[in-house]
Amino acid sequence: MKDIMRVKCLLSSDVETLINQQIKKEAHSSAIYLSMASWCNRNGYDGSADYFFAQAEEERLHQLKFFKYVLDMGGNAVSPEITQVKAEYNSFREVFEEALEQEISVTQSIKNIAARCHKEQDFVTLEFLNWFFKEQREEEYKARRAVELFDVIGEEGTGRWQIDKHVGQITYSEA
Amino acid sequence: MQNLTIQSSVDFVEVFSTKAGAIYQSDLENCWYVDFAGKLARFDYRNILKLKKAVYHIDIEDLLLNNTKSPDVEILFICACDHCYVLSLIEIIALKELLQGTFVMLELNHIIYDRLHRIIS
Repeated sequence: MKDIMRVKCLLSSDVETLINQQIKKEAHSSAIYLSMASWCNRNGYDGSADYFFAQAEEERLHQLKFFKYVLDMGGNAVSPEITQVKAEYNSFREVFEEALEQEISVTQSIKNIAARCHKEQDFVTLEFLNWFFKEQREEEYKARRAVELFDVIGEEGTGRWQIDKHVGQITYSEA
Repeated sequence: MQNLTIQSSVDFVEVFSTKAGAIYQSDLENCWYVDFAGKLARFDYRNILKLKKAVYHIDIEDLLLNNTKSPDVEILFICACDHCYVLSLIEIIALKELLQGTFVMLELNHIIYDRLHRIIS
């Protein structure tokens, strides 16, 4: 008996489901960043708003990268429904703390896909995921550094203004 | 009069069967034939996955427990597919069992291919 499923699609249904969940997660991330950009802009933190606009765009690109991968491998990529996007934050610092939480949770869920791929010996998807792991290194670094600025600069006096000015300048370079 | 010829059953390989029905695979046509609820229906790769999704999505527990007066009948309509099923609750459970068994067998076949045939050949 021919293995028709494998001929049609490289991904197992479990991995396909996991990647579709990841697509949703990335889309949700993008929506959250957009919401954060809105909050920052409304409260006068224009530098941070620009930073979050850029982040939202980046998450969207990640989503599309996963989306295209599923389709290219013969699977079914599902355009996700996004709900429950938080719109209000209690403080400037809270926005960045949640951004870091968001990045950590994205890293965790990609690790989860990789663990499944290891189990199934799906080396093709594993190799594809490597790009994301590298990307997450940068994303987590940037988010962590932004929170760090609150401690280093301090929020007193013109502190928040300084933080807002410096957030956009955070860059990550290996070695 | 239209002549309906079904390819000889030699091409069919039974994937899984229960008392209620059976699913056969045709290697020649790259498709599956579902023998259930009194008809033999042809499903290609996309459609059998859609059928699986549709059946798995039915909340059987909810159908069993809700006490509304609506009849225990589900209409399974699959987009861009020639077939449609109108099934009672018992039939839904039977079809789900049939599909679950089928996908386990297909998975097993995949593992055998993956670990054996593709390595040896």
